[in-house]
Amino acid sequence: MTQPPDAEGRKVSSLRELPQAIEPARDLWPHIEARLSQIRAGATAANARAPLPASQRAARRGWLAAAAMVACVAVGVWIGRSLLPGAVYGSADGAASTTGASALDAVYVSDPRYARQRAALLRSLPAHLAALPPPARAKVTASLAALRKAKYDLESELGKDPGNALLQELLVNTYQDEMRVLTDVRDASDAGRGI
Amino acid sequence: MGMARRVSVALWLLGASAAVYATGDRTFERQVPAQPRGVVDISNVAGSIEVSGWDRQEVSVRGELGAGIERVDVTSEGGRTTIKVVLPQISGRHGEADLHVQIPKDSELDVSAVSADIRVSGVLGVQRLNAVSGDVTSELAGSDVDAKTVSGAVRLKGHGQGARLHVSSVSGDVHLEHGGGDFEASTVSGTLVVSLDSARSIRARSTSGDQRFEAKLARGAMVDATSVSGELNVRASAEGGYAYEVSTFSGDIRDCFDAKPERTDKYAPGRILQGTRGEGAGHVRLKTMSGDVQLCDRN
Repeated sequence: MTQPPDAEGRKVSSLRELPQAIEPARDLWPHIEARLSQIRAGATAANARAPLPASQRAARRGWLAAAAMVACVAVGVWIGRSLLPGAVYGSADGAASTTGASALDAVYVSDPRYARQRAALLRSLPAHLAALPPPARAKVTASLAALRKAKYDLESELGKDPGNALLQELLVNTYQDEMRVLTDVRDASDAGRGI
Repeated sequence: MGMARRVSVALWLLGASAAVYATGDRTFERQVPAQPRGVVDISNVAGSIEVSGWDRQEVSVRGELGAGIERVDVTSEGGRTTIKVVLPQISGRHGEADLHVQIPKDSELDVSAVSADIRVSGVLGVQRLNAVSGDVTSELAGSDVDAKTVSGAVRLKGHGQGARLHVSSVSGDVHLEHGGGDFEASTVSGTLVVSLDSARSIRARSTSGDQRFEAKLARGAMVDATSVSGELNVRASAEGGYAYEVSTFSGDIRDCFDAKPERTDKYAPGRILQGTRGEGAGHVRLKTMSGDVQLCDRN
């Protein structure tokens, strides 16, 4: 094994022969500092594009799946609402209350036009129920309670398993059914007056 | 006749007429000409509506009108006959009327009621029957039927003729015997009990109501039934068999052909049963959240 020659061409046989410090010919720090600043700035910009660790990627996929689920359900509800214009979400006891609406409900009714229709029909729901014959009123109230429970159960399970396609489909069905019921109740009370 | 006797007779007559007025019951009869394939519209708030088809080209209306009924309007114009029980404009109560209507058997029938029960027999044309709390009962004759109630029950009975049957109710039970063709039903809490002799398609949906089907499916038929918490019980045989897919989140799945459901996920709830019976020409798809599901390919 050959040893590299020193600057003057002498061979170095021991570490002790090397100088403890070599002063550069000029002050290099300003140049180094400038380069470090550039690198730091570049790294900050690149961080956004850098591949994430596996755990962060999984979390991001979970959020994307949840967002996709909410979007799918919202589209389904929108389709149902389009087929049944004027239908709204209502409370099981017939009271025009929005206080029980869940966070998911807020997503479903984010369309302003839908929200307006919903609010209007919620206001008129007690009157529509009151116009029904008493036995029918009791049964419809029970059905609205069944719908509300179904929605609650489905949303609770979807909260644990947002990507579950079966639950998503059943939740969309339930929203559409609830709209149909409220539309039917409105039409039924109108029929009672009209006949 | 003495004065006292005259006064007592007058008082008796007065009392009798007051009693008649108090009960308010009176009869109504009217016949109008009608086209053999025209449309007949009938509306009545409370009481009953009984409609039957006959061979004559006229509509006959007979009614027993209770207190609170102002009149019955019967008009016939341009192929459309309208029968309407009219209540007074200012009426604190709903008067009842029992209508017996005979119409040309090929007529198209449109009936609307609130608490009145509707019964139809011998009508061969399309039927659209709507009630709020009244029950709807009809004989099927091969034409389309659309029955809708809020809380009233729907009972349809046919002879296996193919037709499009659409039934919807909020809380009423739905019974169909010997239906055929395309059947579509939805209910929230009502129960569906359906038998179909030759079905091309079945689509049913409920929230908490149970569904029970006994059906002979035509080749390539499609069955699609879903419920949130109601039970699904399907006994369906099919010419050409069918591919089946039964899925539930937390319910049980049973079948009569020893197929075993599988978990949909190792860590989450959910079961699925899928496979093919016979040639797999048709499709059966059953889904619930918590309701149990039972599938059998034998009637």
